Amino acid sequence: MAFLRQLGMLLYLNLLGLPQRLGLACTTVIGVTCAVGVLVAMLAMSVGARQAAMGDVRADRASVLSVDAVETDRSDIPRELAARIANLPGLRRNRRGRTIAVPEVEVYVEARRKASGSAVGFPMIGVGADYTDYAPELHLTDGRMFRPGLREIIASNECAHRYRNFNVGNKRLVGGDDWLVVGNFDLGRTAGRCFVYGDADTVLSTFKRNSYNAVDVMLQSPEAFDELVNAIKGNPQLPVRVEHEAELAAAGVQQIEGMLKFVSYFVGAILALAATIGAANSLYALVDRRRRQHATLLAIGFTSAPIIASTLSESILLAIPGSVIGAGLAWLFFDGLSSTVLDFSFHLAVTPGLVAVGIGWALGIGVISGLLPAVRAARIPITVALRTK
Amino acid sequence: MKFLPLVWAGIRRKPVRVALIFLQVCVAFTLFGVLQGMKSGMDRAVSNIPANVLYVGPAVYGQPPLTMADLGRLRSIPGVTAVSFNQGMLTFYQKPTQPVYVLGIEPNDLMRTILPQEFIVRATDLEALRKTRTGILITADTGRKYGWHIGDRIPLTSSTLQRNGAATWTFDIVGMATLKNQDEAIYVFANYSYIDEARALNKGAVGHFYAVAADSKQAAAVSDAIDNAFANSASPTHTESFRESAQEQLQSLGDLNFAIRSILSAVLVALAFSITSMTMQSVRERTQEIAILKTLGYRNRTVLFLIAAETVGICILASLVGLALSWLAFPLAGKLVPGLSMPPVVMASGVLGAVLVALVGVSLPGLRAARLNIVDALAEEP
Repeated sequence: MAFLRQLGMLLYLNLLGLPQRLGLACTTVIGVTCAVGVLVAMLAMSVGARQAAMGDVRADRASVLSVDAVETDRSDIPRELAARIANLPGLRRNRRGRTIAVPEVEVYVEARRKASGSAVGFPMIGVGADYTDYAPELHLTDGRMFRPGLREIIASNECAHRYRNFNVGNKRLVGGDDWLVVGNFDLGRTAGRCFVYGDADTVLSTFKRNSYNAVDVMLQSPEAFDELVNAIKGNPQLPVRVEHEAELAAAGVQQIEGMLKFVSYFVGAILALAATIGAANSLYALVDRRRRQHATLLAIGFTSAPIIASTLSESILLAIPGSVIGAGLAWLFFDGLSSTVLDFSFHLAVTPGLVAVGIGWALGIGVISGLLPAVRAARIPITVALRTK
Repeated sequence: MKFLPLVWAGIRRKPVRVALIFLQVCVAFTLFGVLQGMKSGMDRAVSNIPANVLYVGPAVYGQPPLTMADLGRLRSIPGVTAVSFNQGMLTFYQKPTQPVYVLGIEPNDLMRTILPQEFIVRATDLEALRKTRTGILITADTGRKYGWHIGDRIPLTSSTLQRNGAATWTFDIVGMATLKNQDEAIYVFANYSYIDEARALNKGAVGHFYAVAADSKQAAAVSDAIDNAFANSASPTHTESFRESAQEQLQSLGDLNFAIRSILSAVLVALAFSITSMTMQSVRERTQEIAILKTLGYRNRTVLFLIAAETVGICILASLVGLALSWLAFPLAGKLVPGLSMPPVVMASGVLGAVLVALVGVSLPGLRAARLNIVDALAEEP
């Protein structure tokens, strides 16, 4: 109890003296502001990329892949198998009473960047005509849906924005034939890449293929997932497995997210190190100023524990405002900023979680930078300190 | 020069404080070195790539492949001096989770001029490949991964079948090659002639052509000429110079300059502030000493110079150490970002940055010291 009272009093004294040493206090605050600001702004990229990929993910959607497939584009579901998947239990039915099980096939197509004209490859996705039952967030902003059996495609506005010839009315060469762009759409909150959809069976016949990559299913409820898994397990005639939509979407953004995170923490750690050193230095100076005060306290019977604790708490208290300002600046300047990395576009997102990371980071800086000065504060030779001016 | 002992005495006054400032500047410029080194390395890597080597591939995925029959047409296009080609074949070693990409090439002298853009190979290794039909060159990564050595005979399984229906291809390892920029653990290099003769289907198919333009300045025009010539054939082409595609890759990384500039300005601002407050502290502690110097006849200018010299000296030294550290870290970072480099201009800009930060940081406390009133200062209790 005495410890807490002494600690409280000392901390009060320390903070009371701070306005006189504003420069030193500001060193810590500004150092932490920069370190946390940079870290939060950079992490906002990886968070933004994840949000762009996971925007409309729903717990009641899943994809059926072939059993050995690592990724969707390596998966292989023959037509007759796709028909049997549509009869599995646990699937929701659309207004016409049919189960929502949409076959999907990916083929690689090429586009030209608007600015440079250089080529980029990305998957064009052939889907069943009832795809909108599975993806109600698909919202046409121009034109109409593609019609089954025809060489028609719809492209997301992202495509039209970034690449040449993706507006309604444009023709594109895919697999040696001309395909007509009949619609442009937005995909709710999902962004990131350019999405192009066409009729799955027309894609199969154009590329002389006989199997889809996957079947996208909508479940009666998120809990129906287990029912579906059990039905598949119980039927050896079905060499397939089910993945939640969330898992596939996360896998798709993993590479970019991982790279951004690594760079953020690498740069953030170096900046934090610099901030820690700066904070330690200014705390040393603060502690040196209080030599006589601390010596007097020790002489009248204070133990060193509250002195150490008060210096450490002061260090932490100085670091916290820096982290709040840093995260605030990152939010002010970078939140919502659009960015494109490796042809994946997204908006930077400074989330409460990131602010918490920033504050945690600052706590670390405060504790580490405070340790040595705190020990030094408590370890003064009383007589010498009291005698010297 | 004669002030050196005084400056040194000022630095030695508070060794811990100086050491910490030194460390802080050092850390900041390590980051500076890594970031700028990354940027200059990428820029340099791109400008080192010759603009006259063109990569001719199919215009659209899934179209009929280019074939050896296109070779003549390609050679006849004005401005094209030489043409070579490759054919990739995806195989696996023992199990499908161990993919090996076999790139069939022509092991001739022309390839020696084109190859450095993709991989580095010694003349003797290429000669060995030329002499052994079933030979392959492997990379050190692949060798380590699967325990392969020169002289080994290895079976690779592919969906490209041989004429006798076999899916297993046997190759003899005859040499080594080093790949640029890519994940090495999957590539090996073989004779195109062997693959083409042994395969059952798609005879004469070619994955990509390499075309060398006579003049780098005409590379874009030659690219267009090639694509125009093939526009109405069974397999239209898309042609791009190696440099163009490297630039494209660099751009797709996003706005690197902006990110690097923002990070570095945050670092330098924090650093300048830290130096200001530390120097201010040290000037305050030395009020009486400075007053004595002035009493002895030191001019304001000289006092300012003394204070500035301390900090600038520390910052220059620390920035050099920091840049050296980042240079030492390049081999580690090289795994992630190939071609890091620290040209003199990065060094110079680093040191210049350090001097500027030191000057900005020292200006306020320095002026305070210079303007110090002797009488007041001597009267003041330290």
